[in-house]
Amino acid sequence: MNWFKTQISKDIWSPYVAGILLGITGVLAVWLSDSLLGASGAFENLAGMIGKAVAPAAFDIMYFNFIMPAGITWGVILLAGVFLGGVVGALSSKTFKLRVDGDEQWKRIFGPKTWKRWVIAFFGAIILEYGAGIAGGCTSGLAISGGMLLAPAAFLFIAAMFASGILTALLVYRNRY
Amino acid sequence: MTNYIIALFLGVAFGFSLNKAGLTRYSKIVNVFRFTDMAVLQFMMTALVVSMTGLYVLRGLGWITFPNVPATYIVGNLIGGLVFGMGMALTGF
Repeated sequence: MNWFKTQISKDIWSPYVAGILLGITGVLAVWLSDSLLGASGAFENLAGMIGKAVAPAAFDIMYFNFIMPAGITWGVILLAGVFLGGVVGALSSKTFKLRVDGDEQWKRIFGPKTWKRWVIAFFGAIILEYGAGIAGGCTSGLAISGGMLLAPAAFLFIAAMFASGILTALLVYRNRY
Repeated sequence: MTNYIIALFLGVAFGFSLNKAGLTRYSKIVNVFRFTDMAVLQFMMTALVVSMTGLYVLRGLGWITFPNVPATYIVGNLIGGLVFGMGMALTGF
């Protein structure tokens, strides 16, 4: 029991152990509720819900009616759970802190101003969700959940993600690479 | 209703494992693209291996059937992946 408690209160686990936990979670998702883990779909459901409330005529298209139904779906509850899980993890290792600026590596590269972090986070997240919409999922929904089922789409996505990620990191970090 | 409760618990496990792997930080996510900290790859591939064996064993036992596999749509997956990688390296999310 004590060993268990010291393990949970550690700040960072080996990625292998955390990966085993995620693998078991993925298997349970398919087994217990016949659905796949995924995060970006939930954001599109929420966006559809807000959009239909605000401008119903513009959002009455096929995408939001059939492919990504608007409203609180299974994925949205999963997303709420992901947020809670992160909070639980941070509380268990006493590193929970409400924070508005980036971490030290960010500050080394981009400077200490908070507004820069927020602007880049906002536009970068728009890019992320846009790419996830084109590909049909994000890392958890397409790469991990699709890869679990050995879908070729997942591996194409992972390859393209790493290719452009390495290129972008080269461009951003230049001689500090 | 139980489906939603299961979703909540699965989400908590998902978020917990992400947090404990440290992947909620900018530095861990960007450093895999600089080849200095391979935690993202180790995490993803371990999860893939464990869940692949688990799922195929369960299907072999006849206990489950697979849900809809995400559609393979080469141009869309590739372009989406390229755009996604750009966002991931910029923001660290």
